[in-house]
Amino acid sequence: MTRHPLTRRRLLALAALTPLAACGTAPADTGRLRVAFAAGGSKETLDPSQVSLFVDQARAKALFDTLVAYNADTSLRPRLAESWESDDSGTRWRIRLRRAAFHDGRPVTADDVLYTFRRIADPALASSSRQYFAKVDFGRSKAVSPAEIELTLTAPDFEFPSGWGAPGAEIVPAGTTDFTAPVGSGPFRFVSFTPGGPAVFRKNESHWDGAPGIDELEFVPVNEEAARVNALLSGQVDYAHDLAAGTAARLAGDGRVSLLEAKGTTMQGMMLRVTRPPFADPRLMRAVLSGVDREALNRVALAGRGEIGNDLFGKGLRGYATGIPQRGRDVEAARSLVRESGAEGLAFAVETSDVDPGFATAATLISQQLGEIGLKVTPNTRASSTYFSEIKTKGVAALTRTATLPVPTFLNQRFRTGGSNNVNGFASPEFDALMDRAAATPDESARLALFGDAQRIVHESGGLLAWGFSTWTIGVSKRVSGLVSAPPNTFDWARFDRARLS
Amino acid sequence: MPGYAARRLGFAVLQAMFVLVATFAVTALLPGDAASVVLGEQATDEQVATVRHRLGLDQPILDRFGHWFSGLLTGDLGRSLVTGAPVTEEIARRFAATALLAGVTLLVLVPLALGIGVTCGLREGSRIDRVLTSVTLFLHAIPEFVLGLLLVAGFAVYTGLLPATAAGTEPAARPEVLVLPVIVLVARQLCDVARQLRIGIAEQTRGQVAGHLRLLGLPERTVVLRHLLPAAAAPAVQQLARAVEGLLTGTVIVESLFAFTGLGTGFVEAVQNRDVPQVQGYVLTFAVVVVLGNLVADLVAHRLTPQREPAKW
Repeated sequence: MTRHPLTRRRLLALAALTPLAACGTAPADTGRLRVAFAAGGSKETLDPSQVSLFVDQARAKALFDTLVAYNADTSLRPRLAESWESDDSGTRWRIRLRRAAFHDGRPVTADDVLYTFRRIADPALASSSRQYFAKVDFGRSKAVSPAEIELTLTAPDFEFPSGWGAPGAEIVPAGTTDFTAPVGSGPFRFVSFTPGGPAVFRKNESHWDGAPGIDELEFVPVNEEAARVNALLSGQVDYAHDLAAGTAARLAGDGRVSLLEAKGTTMQGMMLRVTRPPFADPRLMRAVLSGVDREALNRVALAGRGEIGNDLFGKGLRGYATGIPQRGRDVEAARSLVRESGAEGLAFAVETSDVDPGFATAATLISQQLGEIGLKVTPNTRASSTYFSEIKTKGVAALTRTATLPVPTFLNQRFRTGGSNNVNGFASPEFDALMDRAAATPDESARLALFGDAQRIVHESGGLLAWGFSTWTIGVSKRVSGLVSAPPNTFDWARFDRARLS
Repeated sequence: MPGYAARRLGFAVLQAMFVLVATFAVTALLPGDAASVVLGEQATDEQVATVRHRLGLDQPILDRFGHWFSGLLTGDLGRSLVTGAPVTEEIARRFAATALLAGVTLLVLVPLALGIGVTCGLREGSRIDRVLTSVTLFLHAIPEFVLGLLLVAGFAVYTGLLPATAAGTEPAARPEVLVLPVIVLVARQLCDVARQLRIGIAEQTRGQVAGHLRLLGLPERTVVLRHLLPAAAAPAVQQLARAVEGLLTGTVIVESLFAFTGLGTGFVEAVQNRDVPQVQGYVLTFAVVVVLGNLVADLVAHRLTPQREPAKW
């Protein structure tokens, strides 16, 4: 028997080899899909009514189901609701449910839907989706049968079903108050989760829409974009959410990853507060709208990967007013508007923050461009975590952005007198009346035409400079198939039950 | 010596109190609060007000501080405004991750710094001294972020030898995720500690004691390890204490680059969330680390140089 004495040299050689043998790249697991999202740390939750981050929404989508879901243009497709109809007035809605079951085997019934919507509408819960159910009269709404619900509204609304597909409207079992290990009816079952840490879900074999193509789904928090890309490139994760335009350009030729790019998903804009000087003077508001160069902003701030906007939300979505002529740069006209209102040399700040990668560049560029029409504009950078709540009350001009949501919803939130997110302070009885009339119009094309008229008013005097629409980019490893590009909040986005691993 | 330690500790408690009050005041000056941050972009004023009331943020700041402080006296750091979970839970979880990273870093750092410091100190001005000093200075000069990205590109993305991040792994179960972050942290700290040792050893080796011991015919190893090193180590120990503090409190860059959920990123997150109890918990943790680190370093230095009694104050 020969013995190998453990010499120092041998030990060193062993030590040098061990890490190579032990790690290699990440385990090539064929059953588990690992997806990396920027996370919110301890503020993350599995309660679908409290979603505020994309990662919360993606997890909610895996565990739960909504009654309906948005197609890429925000038109609706049935999910838990098999069909729905309203009476002629648009105040009474009847929804029929398909046969579906929660993860513990209980069927999804009318009571669960009523419980969920009543819960979301409760002001004490402060749910971000509360506005969609604020008009429901729960005292007069009821379960007709286990598979049929009747909801009664306090005012007609033929766009009401849109709210059922909004993030945060996922159906939870009646009586649920604790979401630490939630039971849903979605394509994946809960396995484990810590806020700010990973979440592991297992496939729901008996999902009504068919079992997922992967055994397990793991959400991995990676906040730093560079780290997210590195994790993807080295095979530690298979899906990296939210890549910057520059990264996307760099990865375009990389054989290890494919990019899912959803064009025009996020409106990039600047809101002008029309209730305060200087923009209480509509001439100055018009001067700003025609003083900026949308092409240049797109080229520089969106790295040429976005699309220019026409001061309206929702390019490409259902109900977007396509007939309004594109507003372009007209330095002469803008300059004379500034002169007319006696505002030459007027100084104001554009509120901005690094909450969006394009904001800093956009703020600088807009300041320069408005300098050319005789205004003195300086960017004012605010803290990113509180930016959107701060600009509700502070400043006269602020950069803003809005992800995909139905056009009528956006109009109601942003421009209706006293709307939930009406930061511009826009108030127009004519606009409000048009929105009411549209909501009460049963015929869809007539209704959308009325929404189009409402957008004309906003385009003229709403104080929104929507200069562009950015592209949403996701990096996916080549071993993943079955995923398609889609705007966040729509059906195909973060739809991991369709994914396959090779 | 016990008296010295007690005085130090008493003063440290006062310092920590001052820091806590200051933190509370500064956090109150920040724009927005937990209610507005948690609810996000689409929240209405009404929703923010509801949550603010629920969290007690509509109460006067002195009341809130008093409440928090009385909790502290009973060892209760309160609950997170964001999750409602006890602050100690979250911090303990993150402390474990950071301590692991810091511990492994020290295991590499201390012997390496000793070797380099002694080698360079004994051969001051030699070729090896100049080479080692240049290398450690160079490593010190590269920003952590740059070094980290270079290492990740070389060892993870292109060759696949090591994991690029700790994303989705339990570091204790897959220790190889520690390799790259530890290299970055060691590179950062090595220079200071090794240079302190080098200077100490160089001074000692030129001194009369060393010459005398060598004349007595003691082996060089005994001279260095028994006599030169303890005397030279005092300033290096202080430096090491600072390095430990840095590792336990401020490795935000390394943590975020390698997707580690440690104390550094946790603290930044708590500030961004305006989660005041959480922020205070972190500040308290950091204060304890700094105070203990300095105390231990002072006591060790005190022990290493017993002839020099610290001045009374």
